[in-house]
Amino acid sequence: MAKAAEAARQTKKEKEPALKGTLASVFLLGFFIIFSWVSVYFLFLHRL
Amino acid sequence: MAQPLEKVDRRDAKLALAHLFVAFTALALGGFAGLLQTLVRSGKFELPAGISYYTILTTHGVLLGLVLTTFFIIGFQFAAVSRTTGALSDGSRRTGWVGFWLMTIGTAMSAFFILTGKASVLYTFYAPLQAHAGFYIGLALVVVGSWVSGFAMFAHYARWRKTHRGQVSPLLAFMSVTNMVLWLVCTLGVAATVVFQLIPWSLGLTDRVNVLLSRTLFWYFGHPLVYFWLLPAYMVWYAVIPKVIGGKMFSDSLARLAFILFLLFSIPVGFHHQLLEPGISPFWKYVQVVLTFMVIIPSLMTAFAMFATFESYGRSQGATGLFGWLRKLPWSDARFFAPFVGMLFFIPAGTGGIINASHQLNQVVHNTIWVTGHFHLTVATTVVLTFFGASYWLIPHLTGRVMTKAMNRLAIIQTIVWAVGMTFMSGSMHFAGLLGAPRRSAFSTYGNSPQALEWIPYQIAQAVGGTILFIGIILILVIVINLAFFAPKGETEFPVAEAAAPYERAALALENWKLWIGLVVALILIAYTVPIIDIIQNAPPGSKGYKLW
Ligand code: HEM
Ligand SMILES: [Cu+2]
Repeated sequence: MAKAAEAARQTKKEKEPALKGTLASVFLLGFFIIFSWVSVYFLFLHRL
Repeated sequence: MAQPLEKVDRRDAKLALAHLFVAFTALALGGFAGLLQTLVRSGKFELPAGISYYTILTTHGVLLGLVLTTFFIIGFQFAAVSRTTGALSDGSRRTGWVGFWLMTIGTAMSAFFILTGKASVLYTFYAPLQAHAGFYIGLALVVVGSWVSGFAMFAHYARWRKTHRGQVSPLLAFMSVTNMVLWLVCTLGVAATVVFQLIPWSLGLTDRVNVLLSRTLFWYFGHPLVYFWLLPAYMVWYAVIPKVIGGKMFSDSLARLAFILFLLFSIPVGFHHQLLEPGISPFWKYVQVVLTFMVIIPSLMTAFAMFATFESYGRSQGATGLFGWLRKLPWSDARFFAPFVGMLFFIPAGTGGIINASHQLNQVVHNTIWVTGHFHLTVATTVVLTFFGASYWLIPHLTGRVMTKAMNRLAIIQTIVWAVGMTFMSGSMHFAGLLGAPRRSAFSTYGNSPQALEWIPYQIAQAVGGTILFIGIILILVIVINLAFFAPKGETEFPVAEAAAPYERAALALENWKLWIGLVVALILIAYTVPIIDIIQNAPPGSKGYKLW
């Protein structure tokens, strides 16, 4: 029983696509958001 | 290949096409108004015959922000529902036509009062600016018409569920229903201010109006409005684009969950448009800003799902390296290219939204032309390019024609023209806004103040961008007219993607409408009850109406 489940997990793992590019893309997206936000935040502080 | 294509029923196709026809007519007229605005604001051109800048701006905002979007969306959704859950019943279809005519008559009525200069109150129609009552009555008809169509979709969906017990509904139908639930709940606010405040006041039945209440009810509607625009674009991204590129949807359940989160978190957040409004307590602004930031979750889920769909497909085609999959995408297919460029523009667009909603940063950009730059990225690029991309298969599918290679090439050019024009126009709007240039203002040098003179180069860049964009409008109209009337006869596919995993139990649990609508109502009550009571109880004397044009 446990073995079967383990085997199923194994095959599922194999089918899982490698999404390295997706990971890199979402990180780039995140950095862009943070960079833009911080830029306007500094503009705000500068004008206080 | 030998299988016949699954098609939208011919009678439903007519209903959808009628909506698209009004939408593209609005695009033609509204686009021309947009061109005039950028020319006026460059300082090099004046409107002839004493036409007011604000008449043109109202025409533009109403036709593009309200009419183009609502008509396209309802037409698209009727087609999507009919394609995935079968032909509408005669009753539902007739109801759909009633909705269409109510909306069309309402639009014509409002347009009449705008164009005759009796309603230059901009598309947000803030009190105490006061338009002719006919303008508000026309808008009310548009809203009621959209409700009637929404009910036609609900009835059709309910009938499908009854005959398919225990089955997960098709994704596009589920998404259309989610979007119409969102619309129904949020338009209650704008209907309330129009029917109970603005119409009696413009008819002279009441003398004064509670300005803050009417603005609050407007923004209770105004923010979900932008999600009502965006969700149909997401429908295309999630449920159509994977098929167009030849791949599979990354996850059906993820798409449904994202839609439910949008439904929950896009309504109780209107105060982020009123952050600088006196009369609303900072605590409730804070609560709604927190809820606003919750919308980032389904937005980033969507970004992830898109990247994952593209990468999975590219790798299945043998792509290697970190970004090799990008090269495998069908760049020369306008059905993919236009929405893809729309997605790219959503990166700065969404980022700008996070900035707008942050209370301190909002003080930097509030009511500047930055905001106009922002929503020309969101609605006027991301959403509109996706709608254009959908039209490239939807219109020929509905009219029984095929898009020629030449038209596809023109559509690629159209997309590039739009992207270039918008980069100029929206980019310079963003920078001018950071320098303090106001939105919704005709040209002025403000007595040659040095600050205002700084804005002028950006305003000229906006006119350059606006001119390029207007070329884009002409191109899309050429393509649409070709697809509707002149393209060769034939069969075009309405692409609907399959999920990578065949059956996900989670999807069934997500169809619990009682739960979702209950949560929606609960969140709205939490976010709005106390501040609205406060706005009514502690109101200053109401305002008389002003006609300042
Ligand atoms: C030819 C393309 C376009 C041009 C040149 C253009 C230009 C402009 C300009 C210059 C303004 C702001 C002026 C001001 O605040 O004084 C504006 C406002 C606006 N535009 Fe566009 N636009 C275009 C397309 C679109 C599209 C496709 C949409 C919607 C789908 C749209 C929706 C709006 C809305 C809602 C406003 C706000 C009106 C207001 O503040 O009352 N525009 N547009
Ligand atoms: Cu908003």
